[in-house]
Amino acid sequence: MASPAPLLDSRPEGLFAPAFGAFVDPAAPAARAILTHAHADHAVAGHGEVWATPETLALYRRRNPEWSGASRPLAYGEEVAQNGARLRLVPAGHVLGSAQVWIGAEEESLLYTGDFKLRTGRTCAPAEAPAAGTLVMETTFGLPVFVFPPREVLERRILDACRDALASGETPVLLAYALGKAQEVAALLTEAGIPTVLHGAAWKLLPEYAAAGVALPLSRPYESGPAKEGEALVTPPSTARSPMVRAIRRRRVIYLSGWALREASRLEFEADVLVPMSDHADFPDLRRHVASVAPRRVVTLHGFARDFARILGAGGVPAEALTGREERPQPEAEEP
Amino acid sequence: MTGYRELAETLEEVAALRGRLDKVERLAGILGRVGAEELPAAARLLSGSPFAEHEEAVTSVGYATILRAASAVTGWDEETVRACAIAIGDLGEAVGLLRPAQAAGGMTIAEAEAFFRGLAGRRKPAEKREAVEAMLGRSSAVEAKYLLKTLSGGLRIGADVTTVEEAIAQAFGRDREAVARARRDSGDVGETAAAARADRLGEIRFRLFHPIGFMLASPIESAEEVAGELPDFAVEDKFDGIRAHAHKDGQRVALFSRTLDEVTPQFPEIARALAGLEGSFVLDGEIVAWREDERRPASFFRLQRRLGRKAPEASLLEEIPTAFVAYDCLVRGGRPLFEESWETRRQELDAAAAGSGLLVSEVFRAATPEELETLFAAARARGNEGLMLKRRDSAYQAGKRGRAWRKWKKALASIDVVVTAVEQGHGKRAGMLSDYTFAVRAEEGLVNIGKAYSGLSDEEIRRLSTRFRKSTIARYGPVRAVTPEIVIEVSFDSIQKSARHKSGFALRFPRIVRLRPDRSPADITSLDEVRELYERLTGGSG
Repeated sequence: MASPAPLLDSRPEGLFAPAFGAFVDPAAPAARAILTHAHADHAVAGHGEVWATPETLALYRRRNPEWSGASRPLAYGEEVAQNGARLRLVPAGHVLGSAQVWIGAEEESLLYTGDFKLRTGRTCAPAEAPAAGTLVMETTFGLPVFVFPPREVLERRILDACRDALASGETPVLLAYALGKAQEVAALLTEAGIPTVLHGAAWKLLPEYAAAGVALPLSRPYESGPAKEGEALVTPPSTARSPMVRAIRRRRVIYLSGWALREASRLEFEADVLVPMSDHADFPDLRRHVASVAPRRVVTLHGFARDFARILGAGGVPAEALTGREERPQPEAEEP
Repeated sequence: MTGYRELAETLEEVAALRGRLDKVERLAGILGRVGAEELPAAARLLSGSPFAEHEEAVTSVGYATILRAASAVTGWDEETVRACAIAIGDLGEAVGLLRPAQAAGGMTIAEAEAFFRGLAGRRKPAEKREAVEAMLGRSSAVEAKYLLKTLSGGLRIGADVTTVEEAIAQAFGRDREAVARARRDSGDVGETAAAARADRLGEIRFRLFHPIGFMLASPIESAEEVAGELPDFAVEDKFDGIRAHAHKDGQRVALFSRTLDEVTPQFPEIARALAGLEGSFVLDGEIVAWREDERRPASFFRLQRRLGRKAPEASLLEEIPTAFVAYDCLVRGGRPLFEESWETRRQELDAAAAGSGLLVSEVFRAATPEELETLFAAARARGNEGLMLKRRDSAYQAGKRGRAWRKWKKALASIDVVVTAVEQGHGKRAGMLSDYTFAVRAEEGLVNIGKAYSGLSDEEIRRLSTRFRKSTIARYGPVRAVTPEIVIEVSFDSIQKSARHKSGFALRFPRIVRLRPDRSPADITSLDEVRELYERLTGGSG
């Protein structure tokens, strides 16, 4: 199996940075963890010590109130030097606080992307692409079929669908996961003057967003009552078939995800409108990131890792898949 | 001239609409716009088939051929295109996404039709591939998507030919029933559309040797369910064979299966027997394996050996003779009887059969649920599947499943099995893993005994799909071998020795009854228990 060692070693428990004695996004509690962002599939509870951006740490605490470990906030660009190696967190553009991990030592350097996207948004810092000899990257959408329309087109589609629904007396129901996309779409709707009702899982994170300068004055929590005329509901995809959604007799369901490119998702989520808006890089952006970082070798993981590695290899960039499973993460999952 | 692009865009819009009436309205809109010459092809293409139902033509382009053509047109290697198709869940959709957005496309409906007809006329895969490649090469994204969906036989837009019928009625202001009748009699939604436009629906006459849809029955679970209606029903044995329509005029005979394919050459003895009868007619009935000694049908497993053989050899004809048992008469002496009651049609059938040697079903009556139970037991004792109940006053609703006909089968037994492999479903369940292969336990480990389309709820299937994706051990094309851990209860109608599965047995009509989360793979039915079941149920004779 490919290993990005020695700066980042692939171990059974996960990726390990020996110079810092830390696992990166480990799937089980670790003595020391570097967390790229606060999504549950990257940030499990119970780590002894967490290194992350202040935003990620705050979100991690909010989601794991019982957690009592030590924390080391690292602002973007702040360097930690240890055992002859240097480490810094670089914006990943995925969600609020998300980071890529850059590690350098003598001649060697490595960039671990975590989850990332190159498109800009309203709720997080845009991704950067520092040069690195080895690029360890996520490839959730690592097939050429995944090309998302430009951000402006997608946002117009969302607003058109919402306005059209409201005009015909229907409640727009936007399916967006709770950390990141919910706030992003709420910010878009706020800008357009459409009040939103936020599912509790998304609402409870608003203080962290407010601290980062994202204000959502037109939003209120679902707990204060179901959506009224003129309001849009923003709720995770996992609630698409819940009594909460089904109770809305006249609704227009808008599914926001890269997976919305699949027409089958119309049935899976009982959606009327499919908008392929993702917090992951699409295929062209994955390739663009490789070109910007200009690594000597690439290691792929998540999603279509093997396919993307093969495609890169055919294009002359040495690449290997770290995870061989050509599996798409489940669209059912809360945070794909 | 209307472009195929407009047609494809309409299909795209129809897929996105939730309400059936909205879908009808959208379809009616384009049907009203296309020119007279293009209307028949447009109506057929909107209903998902490039050909009339009565036509024998098939494009028969294999997945590998499409994949190769798609690879050439998109510039991506076949492995990548295949991976994209799996990721998206549909090859047509995937190729549509891979086509550059700026591809202009712009073929006419007539050109699209000519493309499909051309494929039907070609034999060699290489020629078919060239034709598909050329067509994809000049198509826009949305055109490529729907050309390929049509080629692979499923538009998946939540609308079918009856939706198009409704749209035809709406577009030209005709009676919905008149449109349905015209389609049934012409066997062509295209011709029907043209006739509706010209206000000539009434001129469409039924034509012999054009296949027509089958009237289908809704299932009942118990005799009590129909207790109140029993006096209105005629009761017949439900034969376990192949449903067929027999068209006959002079010496000419054609047998059409449920899929409206002609199967006459497979059953020469039936064709011969029917050709010897008087008059012209269309009969509805069942092709069964026949036991002349007992004058009754043999089991479906015997018939199965006759299936899929284009021209059976003499020894097989002798070993497993087949017969046609008629139970309905749809046309007699040129007169269509579809609108007549079952009672009247049955009289016509009896009159046609009198003294002719034509086998017809026996008709029973049951006044009470108890009497129906007795008839059920008798049908089973005769080796038949169960009972058919047909309202005596009902017309023949071709191509529809209604409550005028009911069927009653009881599962024979059920066993607990573990799922060993899964596959993606089709249609509504595309993208979900809903076809399960399952096994019983034997000394040497698990041995497969059957495969069934999931009867579970969408919710359960979705949940299990997630689980199966995680527990995939290996992939063989579309099939995933999974960790054997999900136990399900499977019921079936009969059991037979078979070399198809490793267990040495095969189940007839296996269906998934429920999940058994309370059971582990160690608790499932053993092969020994299956053997005992087989001995008990068949007396060991098969």
